[in-house]
Amino acid sequence: MIRFTRAQVKIIERILATIPLALGVAVVAFVFMRAMPGDPVDIMMGEAAWTSEEEMAALREEMGLDEPIHVQLWTYLKRVFAGDLGYSIIRSRPVADIIKEALPATIELAVFSLLFALAVGIPVGVASALNPNSFVDRAGASLSLLGVSLPAFWLGIVGVLIFSMTLGWLPTSGRLAYGAHPTHITGLVILDSILTGNLPALGNALKHICLPAVTLGLGVAAVVARVTRSSMLDVLSADYVQFARAKGVPEGDVTRRHALRNAMIPTVTLVGLQFGSLLGGNMIVETIFGWPGLGRVVVDSIFARDYPVVQASVMVYALTFVLINLATDIIYTILDPKISL
Amino acid sequence: MKMRTALIIIAIAIFASLGFAPAALGTTKGQLSVIIDTESIRADEAQAIAHNLRAIGVSADVRIWEWSALKERIQAGERQIYLTDWGSAYFDPFDIVVPKFRTGDRGNYSGYSNPQFDAALDRALLAVDADVRRDAYFDAQQILFEDVPALFGYSLMETEAARADVLNWQPSMDSRVNLHDVGLSRGDTIVVGLYADKIVTLDPAAYRDRPTETVIRNMFDALVTRTWDGRVVPEIAEAWKAESDTEYLFRIRKGIKFHNGDSLDADDVVYTFDRVLKEGGMGGRTSPRQGLLGPVEKVEKVDAYTVRFVLSAPFPVLPQALVHIQIVPRDYMERVGDEAFSRQPIGCGPFRYVEGRLDDKIVMERFDGYYGGSPMLPPVGTARVKRAIFRMMPDPTVRVAALKTGEVHIIQAVPAHVAASLMRDRNIQVKSVEGTRVYFAEMNCTRPPFDDLRVRRAINYAVDWDTILRTIYAGNATRLSTAFLPSGFGFNPKLAPYGYDPARARSLLAEAGYLTR
Repeated sequence: MIRFTRAQVKIIERILATIPLALGVAVVAFVFMRAMPGDPVDIMMGEAAWTSEEEMAALREEMGLDEPIHVQLWTYLKRVFAGDLGYSIIRSRPVADIIKEALPATIELAVFSLLFALAVGIPVGVASALNPNSFVDRAGASLSLLGVSLPAFWLGIVGVLIFSMTLGWLPTSGRLAYGAHPTHITGLVILDSILTGNLPALGNALKHICLPAVTLGLGVAAVVARVTRSSMLDVLSADYVQFARAKGVPEGDVTRRHALRNAMIPTVTLVGLQFGSLLGGNMIVETIFGWPGLGRVVVDSIFARDYPVVQASVMVYALTFVLINLATDIIYTILDPKISL
Repeated sequence: MKMRTALIIIAIAIFASLGFAPAALGTTKGQLSVIIDTESIRADEAQAIAHNLRAIGVSADVRIWEWSALKERIQAGERQIYLTDWGSAYFDPFDIVVPKFRTGDRGNYSGYSNPQFDAALDRALLAVDADVRRDAYFDAQQILFEDVPALFGYSLMETEAARADVLNWQPSMDSRVNLHDVGLSRGDTIVVGLYADKIVTLDPAAYRDRPTETVIRNMFDALVTRTWDGRVVPEIAEAWKAESDTEYLFRIRKGIKFHNGDSLDADDVVYTFDRVLKEGGMGGRTSPRQGLLGPVEKVEKVDAYTVRFVLSAPFPVLPQALVHIQIVPRDYMERVGDEAFSRQPIGCGPFRYVEGRLDDKIVMERFDGYYGGSPMLPPVGTARVKRAIFRMMPDPTVRVAALKTGEVHIIQAVPAHVAASLMRDRNIQVKSVEGTRVYFAEMNCTRPPFDDLRVRRAINYAVDWDTILRTIYAGNATRLSTAFLPSGFGFNPKLAPYGYDPARARSLLAEAGYLTR
């Protein structure tokens, strides 16, 4: 028999706990979508020529929309349990296919935005904390303020106007140029092109992801910089850091080994939360850059009242949020062995 | 003491209102107060209308809604005046004016009803003779103009732009992007920046929106097609004739091949229409395009290259309707099934599908076995470019930027305020065509105040459309006298729209018993 450590048991428990959560979310999404005025038939056929009320009623019947809501909900939950997410009303294909196709693009964009945010935010935060009230600190603070305040829809378009239109360095939108597709393995094109060693595809994909990732990540970078700065300042004045200095540990080691590691805990919390919102809150950026991700699918499906797609996507969002939280908690234990799950 | 003061004030107030009461009961109903409801996209316009109404003494406010929420309230009869629009696909008033204004019809939210108007429409719908239909539509237009169930507005021009190296490019009034006819002076891949977020399918029977149709019509052909300005011309069909008011014969061109090499004949045509017309015809689901065919009951095979359309009632716009039903290959479809077909579609159009994602881009390549397309739309023959790509670019600024950098060759839905600056760019050509959507503000004709014709007319005189169209839509709009479109059949160009005449509006309002300013 396999024996699990306590931590492993906890992790398995947490993963199992996502099942009722997903169901709860499914029910909420189901009820809320139906509480909205209008239905998919109405919106699709809204002003269609020569379509009679009878034909619309027949379509509703075909989609099961004429049944009482609790019957619809029951049918839906039974299907979800059987692993069937349903069929999109507007896009006439299985919902699972739509999500499978769109989710990797969203994940890829979120990961790169986060990498950008960390690559910029942490060094700026640390530099500011090491030289409080210096020019570096002030510049960092001003840039952070800008970063949080600039709305993505503006930043994205300005980025396109400067880097694509004026300088011609980057493509305006899209995920890959035609003909540059690497062999499909994970659906994450950057990962796929690395795995297959397809350098032209990698270059092309990186060029395409630059603007959207920076647009989406800049706000997060700003917050990361502020949080890193303040927790770093706290830690730098802590007794054990003073002690390390008194021992004669070189300043660089003090910063990296003693201070930074501990100062990262608030940042990790923040990053966990922000990663969730990067995954779920990128509709605007996806629209600007024609990025074929899940955010666009969801917004579009909400307007079209494409119930099955919205319900499934909301479940996917909820699950990713929970899993990210779990991952965050695991990272805590690595950073600080005193913390346990 | 304070109590007494209060009592005196109340007494004065009661007295004062009594003093005004006879006037209210008699000639004046006080100030007219209206709420204008709209979707956010037309909020500026609604504010401008409210401003115009306030100028003549109407108390007007604007409320903003999401469309479905507003529509529910409108249909419950709870709204007074609201901004709406309605599109036409057939270049005939039958799919705008009939649903919108005929008594009790599907889109008639205003509750407007006039038996004479209905009778005129019926004459137009049941006649096959063009002159009779035109006369009937002229009558209907006149009645609508006099009854003004809506504050009649405008239609917008559709502006598209292309790189200068795109040859023989012309936007269509039905928003089709016809890539068969265009050429490139450099390169062999043409890229189109579509304004849509996604197209919904590659199956010609499974959608109802225009962007999807735009893409599909480059891979599939129909019995007939349209010139850019809305005239129906033969495509797969060689010729057609009406055997009676309810029966039409279509002769199919010989030698047409599908992308997989199969020949196209009457069986494919019958199969295509069965799929659209029958309940559950698309592998158990019913085609959302069924309604487009109106009273078409069935399509029968007469011989290998002739089919007969049988209708349950006269349908003079049948040829216009047939533009929208693209022919699919029966054998292939029956072999692979509906779902596989939509993943790997096969048509007989100028381009064959290569690969793509519905919310990203669709790639197609020239079909070298193409029969040439409509002889009425030169150039006839295979497509001039080797490859065509449709990219989804929902953001207008990005679309324009991509056109300027040369990433795409053609873009649709150019915002009016950007068109002017694009025109100055020597590398870019900009063209506009008449739109096929009518914009207006409907009034609830079943309840006061808009059950009173004088009030409805007053509103039509009170709004300064020229200024609104110039400032909000950069002049990129055509003012309309009713809901009949200039591009549609039976439009009466002599009927001038209500002019901006606040004095007349005031006197009509006063006549109806309202205070004016």
